[in-house]
Amino acid sequence: MDQIFFVGLFAGMFRLAMPILYAALGETVAQRSGVLNVGIEGIMLVGAFLAVAGAVWTGSPLAGVGLAVLGGMALAAIHAYLSITLRIDQILSGIGLIVLGLGLSGFGYRLTIGAQKAPQVPTMAKLDLGALSRLDFFGPVFFNHPALIYLGLLAALLLWWFLYRTAWGLEIRAIGEHPAAADSAGVDVARIRYAAVLFGGAMAGLGGAYLSVVALGGFVEDMVAGRGFIAIACVVFGRWNPLGVLLAALFFGMADAAQIRLQALNPDIPYQFFVMMPYALAVLFLVFFAGRAQLPAALAQPFFAGRARRRRDERAGGEGTRLQQKERRS
Amino acid sequence: MSLRAAAGQAGGTLALLVGAFLLCALFVVASGKDPVAALTVLLGYTLGTANGFLEVVVRSIPLMLAGLGVVIAFRANTYNVGADGQVIVGAIVAVAATRGFEAPGWIALPFFLGAALAGGAAYGGIVGWLKARYNASEIIVTIMLNYIAVQLLAWVTRGPLQEQMHIFPRSDAIPGGALLGILIPGSRVHWGLVIAIAATLVVYAVMRFSSFGFQVKAVGENRAAARYGGIDDRLMIVLVMALSGGLAGLAGGVEIAGVFGRLEDNFAPGVGVTAIAVALLARLNPLMVPVTALLFGVLAVGTGAIQRQLGIPFPLVWIIEGVVILTFLLIGHLRARRLAAAPETGT
Repeated sequence: MDQIFFVGLFAGMFRLAMPILYAALGETVAQRSGVLNVGIEGIMLVGAFLAVAGAVWTGSPLAGVGLAVLGGMALAAIHAYLSITLRIDQILSGIGLIVLGLGLSGFGYRLTIGAQKAPQVPTMAKLDLGALSRLDFFGPVFFNHPALIYLGLLAALLLWWFLYRTAWGLEIRAIGEHPAAADSAGVDVARIRYAAVLFGGAMAGLGGAYLSVVALGGFVEDMVAGRGFIAIACVVFGRWNPLGVLLAALFFGMADAAQIRLQALNPDIPYQFFVMMPYALAVLFLVFFAGRAQLPAALAQPFFAGRARRRRDERAGGEGTRLQQKERRS
Repeated sequence: MSLRAAAGQAGGTLALLVGAFLLCALFVVASGKDPVAALTVLLGYTLGTANGFLEVVVRSIPLMLAGLGVVIAFRANTYNVGADGQVIVGAIVAVAATRGFEAPGWIALPFFLGAALAGGAAYGGIVGWLKARYNASEIIVTIMLNYIAVQLLAWVTRGPLQEQMHIFPRSDAIPGGALLGILIPGSRVHWGLVIAIAATLVVYAVMRFSSFGFQVKAVGENRAAARYGGIDDRLMIVLVMALSGGLAGLAGGVEIAGVFGRLEDNFAPGVGVTAIAVALLARLNPLMVPVTALLFGVLAVGTGAIQRQLGIPFPLVWIIEGVVILTFLLIGHLRARRLAAAPETGT
């Protein structure tokens, strides 16, 4: 285990953490607004497929990523409609989304890319940051990654600032804790939740796109391999805080990078045990970090706007909130 | 509910079903094939030919058992998404426990199936315990355990349990006494069908008439209220997950004993997820599970047929399952809304 090993390990940590990070950041925002989306595994699969399809058709990996983001938002819109407007059980809706995503990605792949002979998938190049990239150890570990990795790290920071330092972030957090209170203050709970869920879908699509276009350079059926669920676990470990989620995702990236290398270092031990490692770690983390979790109080509970307001207004005989006045006028 | 409201609900349900149907047909068209031809092949093979229908029955047996497990878990509001892993672990435990074991059928078979049930129950019970003790999300834990079980099976069929010839990722044949014989001669339908039907009746009776069933439902409706009423909700969650996992494990054991006769790598892909759809479509009613299991058996065998005959990619089955789940959620919502609206409108 020499320098090359560690360089590879740490560089791999960033690369393998990215798909989980993107999906987890998106899910953080969605869950902060009170909506649970367990279907991001399905969205990531569709994103992975669409990214490859888009990249092959247009020759541009960026176009593929864009397509993946749009696809992710479309799928998330279904979940949003079922969960927010119709107030259907969010977990069941998410499960439906997983199955649908599995089918859409596999079906689409076999019809299009899979039918051709080993197409060349344009992937994203690693950035060359000049002298920084050529540093002895820190170069390859920190300064020689594709742009999407830096984007992901930046996104974590931006989302932290957004959630905790802006008014919109406050609204989102308020909705997730006590939607009735936010509602009576005139906040449009449904609209913000829709936005949060769509954002979550876009990020999940991005995560899937990263996997196929940047990491692998191709699509394999069921390639997400549970990362969508690990992402949800990261949201819990990260305490619904983007920075915590970043750390959790990096941890899993490290675990994944380690298990690959440990396989090679320990040829006597069946490799399947190393593949199991990240999943087992996720379970262990859920156990050890569970007790002190402060989840958004209104998570996964359907919200009926207006009920509390109407009752209060009827009693008070007042003219109602801005939203109610607007509704009456229209 | 008045006739008008009932008709309205039926109309809405029908519209949703037609919509779901058309959506699936759309995908068939997208693959460049004729949806009518696809439907003809699908139904024609599964319901029109003896071979096809019997194959449907074989496929639906594990779905019935696993589906029953999912019904119990979902009734208690614990989302057991881990039937896939429990099926695998049940099978592994059963095969490992009976390795090199020769005994007459009436000992070997119950032992084999009992081991399968125990293995699945343990694999599910862990999840229940983690949820009760540490409030660990059973959704995530069961799914993680699924992936772990898949790796376990891959290792076991290439390692300690592998056949003597060491060619394929599979075990040696299980002891002859542990095999489930063929029920319908000339087909692959085995006595596991009887076990599945028996399990259906037992689960129904337990859920409907026993105090355990009552407690399960109470915990599912309102866990805090159940605890306030004196029910040990934590114990119930562990028991429910153990029972749910046990039924899935039994499904795995039945598949090995009835269909494969040995442990094989990747022997039951997707049974766990389909079992969820089976349970949802049955509206969590144990008596409906065999019916919906047959339906999904039709779907699985039918899509295999249209892949072979028309070249439509097999993942269409997942699209249809996803659409079925979502459509069913919509129909359920429609019914709930009609029921809620009725008193206000005075109809």
